[in-house]
Amino acid sequence: MSSFADPIVDGARRARPVRPRRAPVSRLGLILMAPALLLLTLFFFLPVALTGVFAFTDLSTSTGIGRGDYVVTPTLLRQLGDKGLSDTDAEAVARSSVTVDAAGLARARAAGVDDRFLDEIERRFMGRDYEAPAGFVRDLRGLRTAPRRPRDLKSAAALFETSVLNQRFATSQALAAQLEAMAPEIAPAVRARIVEASFTGARFTTENFRTLATQKETARLVGNTFLYVGATLSLFNVGLGLFLAVVLFYMPKGASSLFSTLWLLPRITPVVLYAVMWKWFTWEGGFLPILADQVGLPSFNYMKGSVVTAWATMITLNGFIGASFGLILFSGALRAIPLQQLWASEVDGASRWQQVRRIILPQMRWPILFVTAYQTLSLLSSYEQIWLTTNGGPGRTTSVWALEAFKTALSNYTGNLEYGMGAAMALVLVVVGLALSLIYLRLFKFSELVGRPKIEI
Amino acid sequence: MTRNFALFPLMVVITLISLPLMVMYGFLILDTVTDAPPGALWPDEFTLRHWRFLWDMSAAGNVWKATLNTAVLALSMVAVVVPVSSLAGYAIARLNLPYRRFFLGGILVMHAFPAVTLLIGVFFVLKFAGLYNTMIGVILVKGALMLPFGIWIMKGFYDAVPWEIEMAGVQDGASRLTVFRRLILPQVKPGLVALSVFAFLDGWGEYLLPRVLAPGSDMTVMSVLLNGLIAGDDIGYDFNLFKAVGVFYTLPVIALFAIFQNRLMTIFGGGTKG
Repeated sequence: MSSFADPIVDGARRARPVRPRRAPVSRLGLILMAPALLLLTLFFFLPVALTGVFAFTDLSTSTGIGRGDYVVTPTLLRQLGDKGLSDTDAEAVARSSVTVDAAGLARARAAGVDDRFLDEIERRFMGRDYEAPAGFVRDLRGLRTAPRRPRDLKSAAALFETSVLNQRFATSQALAAQLEAMAPEIAPAVRARIVEASFTGARFTTENFRTLATQKETARLVGNTFLYVGATLSLFNVGLGLFLAVVLFYMPKGASSLFSTLWLLPRITPVVLYAVMWKWFTWEGGFLPILADQVGLPSFNYMKGSVVTAWATMITLNGFIGASFGLILFSGALRAIPLQQLWASEVDGASRWQQVRRIILPQMRWPILFVTAYQTLSLLSSYEQIWLTTNGGPGRTTSVWALEAFKTALSNYTGNLEYGMGAAMALVLVVVGLALSLIYLRLFKFSELVGRPKIEI
Repeated sequence: MTRNFALFPLMVVITLISLPLMVMYGFLILDTVTDAPPGALWPDEFTLRHWRFLWDMSAAGNVWKATLNTAVLALSMVAVVVPVSSLAGYAIARLNLPYRRFFLGGILVMHAFPAVTLLIGVFFVLKFAGLYNTMIGVILVKGALMLPFGIWIMKGFYDAVPWEIEMAGVQDGASRLTVFRRLILPQVKPGLVALSVFAFLDGWGEYLLPRVLAPGSDMTVMSVLLNGLIAGDDIGYDFNLFKAVGVFYTLPVIALFAIFQNRLMTIFGGGTKG
């Protein structure tokens, strides 16, 4: 373009030579952002980071959250025995010995053993060691102040026993030292293996991902998730949404707003009540089974009774919520189509189908893409409705990835919550979610949304 | 509107498709005031006994306390989400932030990102912060997860305010903060109202977070109470009672929607979502 054509811009350029100027940073802006940044850091970024870290641990209810201890239990010894720990070594670790010392006396006193008895033990046996508890019990029986009942005597003697078994050690060194003192004949390499295996806390491991990659369950979960997202999205969120939008577009205003309100209801109904309504609708004694019974069709609990009906219920109940999103969005896009195009086509004798096919649908491309992108993400990660209704049943046939991750980590009935495994499964979703939302930003022209501020103070 | 097409077939089709919803919502209301004999579809007697839970606390637990708790949760959501989003939204829309592009992109990604996948991580944060099993923890988490949406909505409303208002204020010697408070905030009042309603509704309907993050809290909210009724071990499911409790629980939602319908629809429709 010549300078002749655009004198104003040209003039401005001459008057103000190009001077790269860094805009002053707005401190006010940072202050205004601070509360949001704090909350988002705490409950968005930190959880993402923690999910990433814990995905590589075997953290669970049994390891506990926080620092672990070193404990050798009989169960652990049995497990190690299966892995090749020799019986003699196992017995050596399990060995208990008796030492009469101040710590033992204090333990006995705290447990409420008779003071005169303890004084006599202190006078006669202080500092003695016994290889086996039996010898100590025999010695105790000889004391004048010893309790009459054999059971009391035994339990008092047990308080002086020391054993590595079932003792909690804070560090691996403490346990190793104790083991060496109690069972010096065990080879150092074996001892190191026992100490390592005795750690109760969480360990870093890639086991979660290996399990996910190898177990058969994974393939089924992925398949279920695809089926669920694909079917709900295509049949309801896009399919039914578009259909409703087009039909309502052709209906008189009153009927149209009545139906759009009706279809908005599932979205605004609290999820728990929505689940109640579906249970009433599909459970035995509920609406559909009674109706089926009256017309002679098989009548049972459709939500949980068979795999096919469970799937149908699950997809429909989620789809009814999703349809309203498409309906609202597509209705907006439909209203933006110039009516003249439709009138012109009618004058030319187009049928309704031709009108929809040739005029409306081609202009719906972007809204359809938007709904697809947006709802794929939310369907992929949503499990609240499924959890409250089929809960993945019957069996685990309708379980999806997000639900299974949630149940693994936070809500199962066996009581052992596998946080590490759940975090690994969630991490997969987080990565997929991030990737999809980045793509989706690309698709919907992010740069247009990011205009620079016009006042730089 | 185009008129020379037949309307009747469309009416039939849409009524058929909408039938499940009509049945569900029709019976939702009908069943709360009637009784049907077992195995029958239609009720045969009028009764108010399903509403006895309002005064008889043995029927469904203490619904009034649960309602109060739910209101506290919902109002706290408003108190967290609206101020924080309106401040951050203004900063992002109008001020020269460092890394502004990055912030905007981040908010957008988080807006699209399904926050519910973070639940396991959030659980750990609350555990470490000592907020697990407290309502404060639930409110903070729920509020934080709604922030990307809130900030984005508010940014949309700020974007619609003409720059001239701001420039006039600055010309007259007001600081940006004064301009924001005295000139801009009144302009985005519809946005504040809409966001408040959204935050309230979001808090009101929430089930997952109170259930998972505060299972032992004595602040039972209505959603947890209602689901507890069904999950209870009673063999006879009194669906009419559940529905009556559910309708009671949902009344405020319906009322808010009836009042603010038009404003909410624009946001629902993604009009300001970008």
